[in-house]
Amino acid sequence: MSHVNTVVFTIVVVLFVFVTCIGFAAARWRRADDMLHLNEWGLGGRGFGTFIGWFLLGGDLYTAYTFIAVPALVFASGAIGFFAVSYTIMVFPIAFIFLPRLWSVCRVHNYVTPADFIRGRYGSRGLSLAAAFTGILSLMPYIALQLVGIQAVLTVMGVATGSSNTYVKDTPLFVAFIVLAVYTYVSGLRAPAAISFVKDTLIYLFVIVAVFYIPTRLGGWDHIFGAAQTHLAAINPETKKPNGAFIPTTKSTGSTELDFATLALGSALALFIYPHTITGALATKRRDVVKRNMALLPAYSVLLACIALFGYMAVADKTTAAEVKKAGNTQLAVPYLLQHMFPSWFTGIAFSAIIIGALVPAAIMAIAAANLFTRNIFKEYFKPDASPRLETRTSQWASLVIKFGALAFAVWLPHTFAINLQLLGGVWILQVFPMLVAGLYTRWFHRWALVLGWAAGMIYGTIAAYNVHSPTSSHWANSSDIVFGHTVYIGFTAFIINLVLSVVLTPVFKALKAPAGTDETLPHQYTADPVEAPAPEPAGVGLTATSD
Amino acid sequence: MTEPTATPGAPGDPQHAAETRRVNPVAAHPITSLVIFVLVAAAILGTLIVPIYDSETPKLGDFPFFYWYQLVYMPAVAVVLWIAMLLQRRLRRPADTQIAGSDGGPVPGGAR
Repeated sequence: MSHVNTVVFTIVVVLFVFVTCIGFAAARWRRADDMLHLNEWGLGGRGFGTFIGWFLLGGDLYTAYTFIAVPALVFASGAIGFFAVSYTIMVFPIAFIFLPRLWSVCRVHNYVTPADFIRGRYGSRGLSLAAAFTGILSLMPYIALQLVGIQAVLTVMGVATGSSNTYVKDTPLFVAFIVLAVYTYVSGLRAPAAISFVKDTLIYLFVIVAVFYIPTRLGGWDHIFGAAQTHLAAINPETKKPNGAFIPTTKSTGSTELDFATLALGSALALFIYPHTITGALATKRRDVVKRNMALLPAYSVLLACIALFGYMAVADKTTAAEVKKAGNTQLAVPYLLQHMFPSWFTGIAFSAIIIGALVPAAIMAIAAANLFTRNIFKEYFKPDASPRLETRTSQWASLVIKFGALAFAVWLPHTFAINLQLLGGVWILQVFPMLVAGLYTRWFHRWALVLGWAAGMIYGTIAAYNVHSPTSSHWANSSDIVFGHTVYIGFTAFIINLVLSVVLTPVFKALKAPAGTDETLPHQYTADPVEAPAPEPAGVGLTATSD
Repeated sequence: MTEPTATPGAPGDPQHAAETRRVNPVAAHPITSLVIFVLVAAAILGTLIVPIYDSETPKLGDFPFFYWYQLVYMPAVAVVLWIAMLLQRRLRRPADTQIAGSDGGPVPGGAR
């Protein structure tokens, strides 16, 4: 604890205690008669309107990925990092198309997870299991990314102790994480929903101040872009290549237009397939709330673009750039930049914003993964007659276990580029896209073809992601691979393989007269807009329609 | 579960037949539907096709084109989606009350 700034440290601790209190108090917020129901613990009562929904989804979608990983990539590689900006633009029109349909069918049938829907649509336990497994797996690195973000801030604050033992060094991180785990256990989705108000306020405050103030300290935008362009064009002595690109290139490999576009499209297709974003969407009370939020959430993307530009500011500020280089960790770019540019009290606010900004989505992700485990693995395979009370208890415990699983990811996977943790999750979750989104429109696809397509995509994606390594980086450390001589996002290639296989195999299975499974949904349910949340079944009675 | 459990969605199901008989809102409002389609497609393609904005010039202030284009595109997408949502509301208004009826609760369809 050598260079801890007392003011910064105090503000961070005070704000952390403040949100912890909110987290516990949230259990009483909009209290329902029977809190021990998954619709309550796992979906906050399914009653959030446009206003709370906007805060919740904003708090859910914009994570340490936004605050730490994207600017780190921009800092190191330049324009390619802006794929995240393009992605957060594209994602809303894409979700606008299919998300209301998913909301409606889940509302009518009381589905809590995306795998519940797949189960009902295809009458297939196996397909549902595949979706649940993929959802949980892909959330692990995503939660780990939140930890890496918190870790970056704590490192710059100087509270990570000098010990070389990981477990001693990261004690503050573990403490923060355990506190988060406990109030998530108690309050369920209400905790992150309530805290997201604090998070969003702090984030808006610090980003708006930073984006207007920092350029005045660095000689204006002209100087910032100029310094970035010079730095990116310079030759890196290790790789003998330029550091990065200021504008995506038209070459076939490197920071290319194609890589940029596939990263953006792949991420955009993946975002609203992630269980935690679906959890956020299903917690809203009306179909129009979902649509309205697709039009309102781009306000947050503007923030993401500003934060991405922090990467260039960190390049332009010589002290920051030197310190990041010395530490050998690009994730520290934003925390160091803030520390140098602002007085201690404001640095404290900004650091708190980033830490809380990572805790909120981590909580929602753990809840979403826990719901998947409970509904689609535990209830489906181990305890078909589980009561809503038992379901909720199981989810609560699962949320704890999942958090510690993510901790393992955070400790083991390389941190050279935290953004790859999210992109790796994307490689996996994208494989659920065909069964989920196509399923919202058509039953044409055969469930066995979808399973095989999914398996092929998963296997290819995992192997390709593992094999990408160079002398300067380790396994899993990159998310783009060269296919037919062009750099492409691995998740996108795997998705295409999955889709092609599903399309080709469907007629084969139909010709073989393989059983198609029972579809429990009806066409009009995809556009339905029931006012009342589905009535919770009385305790002790399971969902009759989900058992054969 | 409120829906019938016996072979739902099968062609012989009376409820299914009733649903398919209802007028398709897209067929009823072809022009509005086309406008919605174009708006949403443009919102996606405007950033997906990277060569559109893959250049340094023209600059806006100190911002190269590649950067300010994306910054300006965001609020534009927000406005476009809001318009698309309002158009969709017009599209489905007549059918709304029927859907609500079949779900067992009265919905003030199009009242907002």
